[in-house]
Amino acid sequence: MSQVINTLFNGLSLSSIILLTSLGLAITFGLMRVINMAHGEFVMVGAYITYVVQQLFVKYVPQSLFSLYYFAALIAAFLAAAILGCLLEKVVISRLYGREIDSLLATSGISLVLQQAARSIFGSQGVNVNAPSFLTGGLSVGGVTFSYNRIFIILLVAVTMAAMWFVIYRTNFGSQMRAVMQNRPMAQCLGINSRRVDNLTFGLGSGLAGIAGCSVALLGSIDSTVGQSYIVNSFIAVVLGGVGKLAGTVLGSGIIGFAGITIERFMSSSIAKALVLILIIVFLQKKPQGLFTIRSRSLDE
Amino acid sequence: MKIVEKCKQNINHICFGLIAVALAIVPPLISAGSVSTPTGIFLGKCIAFAIVAIGLDLIWGYTGILSLGHGLYFALGGYAMAMYLKLSATGGKITEFMHTGGLTELPLIWEPFNNLPAAIALMIIVPGLLAGIVGYFIFKNRVKGVYFSIISQALTWAAYSVFIALSPYTNGNVGITEIKSVLGSIRGGANQGNLFTLFYIALGVLILIYALSAYLVSTKFGKLLVAIRDGENRTYFSGYKVSRYKNFVYVLSAVIAAVAGAIFVNFNGSITPSQMTISYSITMVIWVAIGGRGTLVGAVLGAFIMNLCEYNLSSGALAEVWQYIIGGIFCIAILFFKGGIVGLFKEQIPARIRKLTNRRSKEGAENG
Repeated sequence: MSQVINTLFNGLSLSSIILLTSLGLAITFGLMRVINMAHGEFVMVGAYITYVVQQLFVKYVPQSLFSLYYFAALIAAFLAAAILGCLLEKVVISRLYGREIDSLLATSGISLVLQQAARSIFGSQGVNVNAPSFLTGGLSVGGVTFSYNRIFIILLVAVTMAAMWFVIYRTNFGSQMRAVMQNRPMAQCLGINSRRVDNLTFGLGSGLAGIAGCSVALLGSIDSTVGQSYIVNSFIAVVLGGVGKLAGTVLGSGIIGFAGITIERFMSSSIAKALVLILIIVFLQKKPQGLFTIRSRSLDE
Repeated sequence: MKIVEKCKQNINHICFGLIAVALAIVPPLISAGSVSTPTGIFLGKCIAFAIVAIGLDLIWGYTGILSLGHGLYFALGGYAMAMYLKLSATGGKITEFMHTGGLTELPLIWEPFNNLPAAIALMIIVPGLLAGIVGYFIFKNRVKGVYFSIISQALTWAAYSVFIALSPYTNGNVGITEIKSVLGSIRGGANQGNLFTLFYIALGVLILIYALSAYLVSTKFGKLLVAIRDGENRTYFSGYKVSRYKNFVYVLSAVIAAVAGAIFVNFNGSITPSQMTISYSITMVIWVAIGGRGTLVGAVLGAFIMNLCEYNLSSGALAEVWQYIIGGIFCIAILFFKGGIVGLFKEQIPARIRKLTNRRSKEGAENG
């Protein structure tokens, strides 16, 4: 029994991490159809920002308030990644709308640059973040330990999802965003500044990657390739769920996470990862458009 | 006059011919002492890179399918060759890393690599078969565009994790190291003859593959590839089985990549899973994009120029900034020079000149 609970918890935890890294992609790739290969590097930026904020708190803030650094880091990471995303959209991606493959290539160039920047600033050695005190240790229930930082990440994902839902469905910006993504010429006719909406939407997606970076920082050491290890799963989660469907991304991440943890019980973790990806690729042959498809008669969907 | 026209038409092939001639005089230069042996070995690797770039150009430049996983096929070819070379070094006995991995006998998958013809056959069959199976399903189900890119990337990632996990068989992260070339050692002054022979073999393969590819794209088949790139649905409606053509090109380019990988191993003396990563695969795409997609000579040029720059810049004071430069150049090339170097010289600069001369003649007319 306890093993089952443990597996379920680990699956939930892994799924939530994958979900957090793919939420941003669900927006930039799912809604805007931009393949941002630098998304993993935005995750990395978020992780490094967490590290920097922690160092600043060590230096300038009294010891008693140290644990609060994490919340400051969440905000800082979101803003830093979002600003970087807006900048990237303005300079590079806005010239490449409608040229999906070219946007993929251009952003992979950006990803090289960002990785090197991380190496020049922080060195090629990984750095570590000290988890805030309220996240150390774990909750023991009937012989099963739930570590606090994993619980925290699950909560963080829930809060982020709720905030995203609010922004997309309950704010003015959200309705403008949906309008532009659904029918650009019509939205423009109604007086929406679609370029600005594009820019902010991309910024939002990138900012979410920054938040993902914060949670990644809790899980292990940070180096310039930290984003790369999440990006493949995130892309597959979005494709599996069905591009353009946020609910699909949630389900997709869940499937990858739980399948990975379940298979891991029988074989080594890297084989499990590979097997999950291969199974999903096989599944995508059956449903090339993912689990949730938007029905369309268009030929090129 | 006719000759000039003919030259203009075949300018790409002439360019390639010049590159081949330049490479052919490298060995004499080495023995004369004006090119160092390490540079010669490096140029040999560049030949391998140029070969894989031609394969990528066939599938991406001509057919419009962007594969982010050609590193996988490159590495598969490389591993096949490396396994043969390793076994010939140990005399067919079990290698050290297998001992460390807990194996007591040579694994069954290593057995066929004891003799060269079988190794070469497997080097071509394994990647070809894998690409054939993957391509068959993916293209039949009309997975295209960026979806194909994402899937090819995921596949490469999966293969990479498997290679690392199976370390008793593949030596994990370290890869297969300390191997000599097919002809024996190519390092050191005494082995210059081996290096030269190997170099000419590699050059011969490059010329052969270039000629084959150039022939293919000049036939009706080549026109069909371009048709698929520019209007896939129209090609379907014209009655062609697009998926079969795509699959064929995919397999062909995978095999070309595998051959390139095998040549690479001979010069490099080792193969590691890092040749199988996504970023390595993207680097290969960068060569093609910078040289000029859809022109075979562009792929060759791009591979040589980018690698020579890296070779000369990445060791000195510019080591830090090299990644910035390559990332930046790539971005700018995608944004502003879609045709790469070849496009720049064949289209963009002539267009600029035409514009200028037109303006001048117009001004002249107005003033006159």
